[in-house]
Amino acid sequence: MDAFLRMEHVSKRFGDFYANRDINFSVRRGEVHTLLGENGAGKSTLMNVLIGLYQPTEGTIYLDGKKVRIDSPAQAVKLGIGMVHQHFMLVEAMTVFENIILGDRNTRGIFIDREARTKEIQALSARYGLEVELDKPITEISVGAQQRVEILKALYRGAELLILDEPSAALTDLEVEGLFDIMRKLTGEGKSIIFISHKMREVLRISDRITILRAGRTVCTVDRTETNGEELANLMIGRELAPSHYEKITEPGEPVVSLEKVDYHKESKHNGLCGVSLSVGRREIVGIAGVDGNGQSQLAQVVTGVLTPDAGEVDLKGSRVAQFTPNGFILESVSHIPEDRNKMGLIGDMSVKENIVLKSTDTPQFSSARGFHLKKRAIRDYAEQMREKYDIRCTSVEQEARNLSGGNQQKVILARELEGQPDLLVAVHPTRGLDIGATRFVHDTMIDAREKGCGVLLISADFDEILEVSDRIVVMFEGQVMGVFSGKEPPIQEISLAMAGK
Amino acid sequence: MKNSNKLISVLVPVASVLLAFAIGCAVMAGLGANPLVALQSLWTGAFGNLRNVGTTLARATPLIFTGLCACFAYRCGVFNLGGEGQFIIGSVACCYMATQTGIEGFPAIVLCLLAGILAGGIWALIPGLLKVYRGQNEMIISIMLNYVATLFMGVVYTNWLREGSVPQTMSVPDTTKLSRIFGLRATTAFIIAIVVGLLIYYFLFYTSKGFQLRAVGLNMTAAEFNGFSVKRYILFSFVVSGAIAGLGGSAELLGTQYRLINGFAAGYGFDGVAMALIAQLHPLATILVAIFFAALRVGSTTMQAATGVPTSVSDIIQALVIVFTVAGLAMVKLSQFKAAIDRIFARKETVAS
Repeated sequence: MDAFLRMEHVSKRFGDFYANRDINFSVRRGEVHTLLGENGAGKSTLMNVLIGLYQPTEGTIYLDGKKVRIDSPAQAVKLGIGMVHQHFMLVEAMTVFENIILGDRNTRGIFIDREARTKEIQALSARYGLEVELDKPITEISVGAQQRVEILKALYRGAELLILDEPSAALTDLEVEGLFDIMRKLTGEGKSIIFISHKMREVLRISDRITILRAGRTVCTVDRTETNGEELANLMIGRELAPSHYEKITEPGEPVVSLEKVDYHKESKHNGLCGVSLSVGRREIVGIAGVDGNGQSQLAQVVTGVLTPDAGEVDLKGSRVAQFTPNGFILESVSHIPEDRNKMGLIGDMSVKENIVLKSTDTPQFSSARGFHLKKRAIRDYAEQMREKYDIRCTSVEQEARNLSGGNQQKVILARELEGQPDLLVAVHPTRGLDIGATRFVHDTMIDAREKGCGVLLISADFDEILEVSDRIVVMFEGQVMGVFSGKEPPIQEISLAMAGK
Repeated sequence: MKNSNKLISVLVPVASVLLAFAIGCAVMAGLGANPLVALQSLWTGAFGNLRNVGTTLARATPLIFTGLCACFAYRCGVFNLGGEGQFIIGSVACCYMATQTGIEGFPAIVLCLLAGILAGGIWALIPGLLKVYRGQNEMIISIMLNYVATLFMGVVYTNWLREGSVPQTMSVPDTTKLSRIFGLRATTAFIIAIVVGLLIYYFLFYTSKGFQLRAVGLNMTAAEFNGFSVKRYILFSFVVSGAIAGLGGSAELLGTQYRLINGFAAGYGFDGVAMALIAQLHPLATILVAIFFAALRVGSTTMQAATGVPTSVSDIIQALVIVFTVAGLAMVKLSQFKAAIDRIFARKETVAS
């Protein structure tokens, strides 16, 4: 069978960073082709190139054997490429019918021929088993139905190739079955589907072929029939284990924080916690491994006081936490490197200097008369000192934090969070988007903190990072702890299976 | 980068003013007047002699208060559009104190101003509480409360505190009036306004709490993650903002108007918002902008008398200043514009080196 879509040597570069590098990827007519990879492996970038949101830095795209240039999403639609985004792009106040015909360019005149359109849509709907109620507003239909509307919308615009981005993430098990039926019908009629998912079970059931991406490159393409979950997990995480740079600690001190059967929005598989028990000791780095969106964010926010758990107990340095407020945790020397440094960590419009002292302007070091007069001089000097110590590259400490590079922004946060010798550091994706040098710096700093007696809870979607620095590895899946493993000579196989929920 | 930002934040309003005047001059010329003569009489009317300066400052005083009111709340990231209502409620409380309690003289002045502060603060607490605990939109609530305040004041001067058969309250006793500065129209109310402006400036930029308040205003999520009580700051900023407006209402009553009457304070609230925006939320700049607008208003009467150019030309100029500044500030935030500025600066640097 010849390929319907071929992407050859496609690269996409942002600055010095290659999000995609020399990708080769093809999709045949009538097949479900899965793109598998960790977060940041380059799946989204590649799809954005395909639907015309990004222009590739290098490489060519062939559709039906012809070389094409896709310079806008409208062009992609014209070429028959349709995408169903993970977060649906529907106008909630409008009806299903209105959503489907929205943006249709074949409108003649200013009136909508409702009857003819309805007939067309109903024909499509019957052909592929996409049941929808055309007159209902989007708000009144289920998530599964909304997804069918999205698919119908793409088909109505003449899609030959459908991209489904994590389509099962929001669906119930029954709805997933329905989706798979539809997918089979579509491929049976010669349509091609690119399926993006993390869920090994589903990938193995529905795919014809699977292409694995890792760190922006294609690892390989395999036939579903010739592989199994374990092999895929290994290919995805894919490593000849490089020995860690750091010495692992096997006997930590007394626990700094411990969680006992903590629940938070337990019914939510992807944004909740269900009976989580774990502890972090002094002089220990506990790494939370797992695919993003399995409760890690919520875990981090519970142990920093941002979220209050629904059930269960949290002990901080031996005493039970009664009230969950960020300030209460900060007073107990808990430091936090939040997952989104621009949104949660920094005040972008404030200067580097102000961000460094953000938490401590009330202290006598930086203000006199109980906060009534800021010691601007002391703040500036201190910031200069931190700039030196943490190697923050900025034009001056007066520079606005938003104008710094990601790595330097992270260093500003490190300087703020680690200088007070915290008892517990909660670091969430601390190296996301950083280059190798900055990543190394962050890791060194965490190890340093550990040596000083700090307990570190490291949450990261980057498995390499977890292996590199963790003394103990806890795997989370759908809000639950799947297993606890030693960080010294970690059993990769078992860990990757646990990450896939087995 | 930082320097170019500061430069731009001054350049945009200045350029807007020049552009607005240029268009204003064209209109004047179209009306058959000599723009230069008209502008000169505008200037004379506003600043030509000490008496006119006094009048201008007196007109600026309530604008400074409502401008600072808007400025303070916006610094904490909440939009208090209820300055006018808080101003009015403050003046109503003040009026009651001044005319109904029988106290006179300096203690009465202090009590009246305090009553205004308190009333304005409480009035602003309503949208604050509704926002923090019920998630209501503070802009809509505070705007609607303006109407409530205006109508409430109507009840006060047509019924409860009406003087005889005229729909107005009785006048504040002479001893309770704020004294004039050098016998000019401007009173100590202007001094109070300046002091409030300086205090706010000090609070925002020189105290720890002010720093935290600004942090909340710039990024609420990060402020929360860093342990600041966002809700408390929002409530606090609403109350203080309302208190400033309430104080302004009292000072206006005791210093300029002496009685509540139909049209008291009309338009001051939104004028204040415009002042704060043009001043880019800087309290001291807000004072300057308020004086500038007052000058345009006071001077325009002289201009009309001297050259026949109607005062509405001055209104046109004021409106254009607002439009140009707001549009200009939005424009410089565009990425294309930023890139162009960076290129210019980069070129200068290469030339310099």
